[in-house]
Amino acid sequence: MIEAIELCRTYRTSTGVLRRKPLEVEAVRGISFAVEQGELFGLLGPNGAGKTTTIKMLITLLLPTSGQARVLGRDVVEDARDVRKRIGYVFGGDRGLYERLSALDNLRYFAELYGVSGKAQRRRIDEVLELVGLKGRESERVEGYSRGMRQRLHIARGILHDPEVVFLDEPTIGVDPVGARELRGTIGDLISAGKTVLLTTHYMFEADALCDRIAVIAKGRIVGEGTPAELKAGVADGRVTEIEVFGVDDATVERLRALEGVTAVAVEEHDQRQLLVVQTAAERELTAPLLAQLDGIAVGRVGSREPTLEDAYVALVGGE
Amino acid sequence: MKAARIFWTGFVLHFKNLSASPFMMTTAAIWPLVYATLAFLMFRATHQAPSLLYAALGAAVMGIWSTTATSAGGAIQQQRWWGILEILVAAPTRLILVLAPITVAIAAIGVYSIGSTLLWGRLLFGVPLHVSHPLLFAVSIPAAVLSIGLLGLLLASTFVLYRSASHLSQALEYPIWTITGMLIPLSLLPGWVGPIAWALAPTWGMRAVRRAAIGGDVGTPLLVCAALSVAYTILAALLLHHFERLARDRATLSLT
Amino acid sequence: MRTWFRIFFIGGVISFRALFSWIRPSVYIPTLLLGPTTQILFFAYLGRTAHLKSDSWFVVGNAVQSASLAALFGMGFAIDGERWTQTLSAVLATPANRAALFLGRALPVLVNAAVVASTGFVGGALLLGFRMPWSSVPTLALLVLLASFACTGLGMLVGAVGLRMRDVPIIANLTMAVLLIFCGVNVPLDKLPHWMHMTAEGLPVTHAIDAARRVAAGASLGSVETPALTELGLGAVYLLVGFMLLRLFELQGRRHGTLDRA
Repeated sequence: MIEAIELCRTYRTSTGVLRRKPLEVEAVRGISFAVEQGELFGLLGPNGAGKTTTIKMLITLLLPTSGQARVLGRDVVEDARDVRKRIGYVFGGDRGLYERLSALDNLRYFAELYGVSGKAQRRRIDEVLELVGLKGRESERVEGYSRGMRQRLHIARGILHDPEVVFLDEPTIGVDPVGARELRGTIGDLISAGKTVLLTTHYMFEADALCDRIAVIAKGRIVGEGTPAELKAGVADGRVTEIEVFGVDDATVERLRALEGVTAVAVEEHDQRQLLVVQTAAERELTAPLLAQLDGIAVGRVGSREPTLEDAYVALVGGE
Repeated sequence: MKAARIFWTGFVLHFKNLSASPFMMTTAAIWPLVYATLAFLMFRATHQAPSLLYAALGAAVMGIWSTTATSAGGAIQQQRWWGILEILVAAPTRLILVLAPITVAIAAIGVYSIGSTLLWGRLLFGVPLHVSHPLLFAVSIPAAVLSIGLLGLLLASTFVLYRSASHLSQALEYPIWTITGMLIPLSLLPGWVGPIAWALAPTWGMRAVRRAAIGGDVGTPLLVCAALSVAYTILAALLLHHFERLARDRATLSLT
Repeated sequence: MRTWFRIFFIGGVISFRALFSWIRPSVYIPTLLLGPTTQILFFAYLGRTAHLKSDSWFVVGNAVQSASLAALFGMGFAIDGERWTQTLSAVLATPANRAALFLGRALPVLVNAAVVASTGFVGGALLLGFRMPWSSVPTLALLVLLASFACTGLGMLVGAVGLRMRDVPIIANLTMAVLLIFCGVNVPLDKLPHWMHMTAEGLPVTHAIDAARRVAAGASLGSVETPALTELGLGAVYLLVGFMLLRLFELQGRRHGTLDRA
């Protein structure tokens, strides 16, 4: 369905005001993956990892600097129009709609542009409004919509022409928890309807909950790929020690990372205190050496637990 | 025809969207009055100037151009700001069918300019609103509007690629006014301006509008205007195809 | 005292650079350097169409007037742009002398306005054969500076009003329109309705243009002393009133919490 082969994308920008220096940013450095029909595939990664760049290449909005991509067997560069007819693209955020017009006006316009035949338009618009739960509010101006409603309208727009493949770029970003949950339900419905979905997100729990398979991206490269269970298995052998500290500095964190047997260290900020999340290889009892490194720093609770997908993510991403 | 339907749907949407913008409406209605007033005052100052009706019509069409020129580039930029440009490019419809309705809708807003300018002239300067050939006048106005909208489309095609090209279009405002003979007769301009003017559809549109009101052969300018408009459309289609690909390469479709 | 000057200059230049994406040549050149020349050409030919005055008459009028475009939008943007970038309260909260800060913003705008006006003269010389005695150039330069100063002052006033009314571009546009019509730029003052003429006497640019036209024809600085001083005085008044309004609105804004755009 979707194939990416060694996709690369470099941006050329410039810095400075009077003497402009060219700057090359390698956003995507050789990404390859494949998505099967009917799959809900997730591209998971921190901000700036290259997720949006990758998805834009797949939906023909960006030309790759090198590498190839095919959607439904058609090349995204050579057969762009063919690809566009068969895919839907939804991105997160407030923008992307004509604010002063109603949802219905917006949908009618995009239906026309995306090739929904005249006779089918009314029926199709009704269908998508029903699917995303906006029926009854379609005559209101978009400017009065909440973030969650806009997102749903985005999804409605994205599937108007009944595409086989749907690309979602951070669909729940900025949406309240209840709205986000509803959105995830809608996304799941898309799969039930037989579509293939590629989703980008930086919320691990979202990827875990929704996706059949996940590719973890960091700094333009894929650092891990598999089902949520497989990724968790990658760190399942190890253990996670959580240490509450008050005022740890970067140098100490680095020393912790350098300890033998430590696979990853993450620091979570919580008001006055921080939580050190230390992943260790299996069977290693490292509590004493860890605490020794923290000598001189106030330490609170110390606990240990099983690793989660989030830890797998941190380990993969931190390793780059 | 499917293309006509897409064009019409787009035109209606954008006309609606523009009419809902108070800034757009005030710009379209008020700026032409400024230049009309200037023209009226200047022409009234001597006894050798062309008629005030001539001035009114010229200023009105100038207003249509200026709304189109400043807004066409702005419209593309606005679609960019609204995050819609990407959606438009990602659509399977050819970009020209997506953008043409925008620029023509903008020019159509210019009809408000004509109305307000003629009214202003009548009320404040006693401009006689007598039109020689009312039917031809009614036809030549949309023809002029369409030709201006399509010239705006040609300009706007460059804005898909170059984010700051809209500033260049602002700089073209006075030159276009000057060259297309809206107020200044071509005979007063240097000889080399002639051919450039004749290649610009608004020159003929203006001529048609003026002659329909004041008298003279309307048919020829109307035909030339139509032919040139068709040529612009084809050229814009080619440019857009090329520029769109470049924009995808250089990642200038979105703001980031 | 040194601090005052530092704030004045540095604050101004930095804000100028930050707020003006115009520094990019691809924007600056068409908008501000070519613009005045195209305006001059248009009106000069329009003048010929109407058999009104001479090319030189239009060159001087429009070149000086083009300072107002740069000044009005420059000042308006400098004041309003701050609001958009939500830095207004942050800026005003600093112990920096507020006068230094805002006047500092005005200086680059003034210089820019003078440059813009000058390009009009150059354009007129190159394309319309505008000529004037070389000895008159310094005086003309002074008059251009005075007009720019007056326009900057008006710009501060307009920026302050626009800030209050939350719509700088429309107010700035209207002001531009008024200047273009009333101030004897393209219509001789004696051909204007009386009330317009009277209004123009209190506006920037009117006196400077009148003086500049005489100087271009060979008049000395001494003979245009009155209009020059009037222009200076007007500029000072506008600057002062604008600044006071800004302070007033700032105080009101703080009271009502309306300082930054939500």
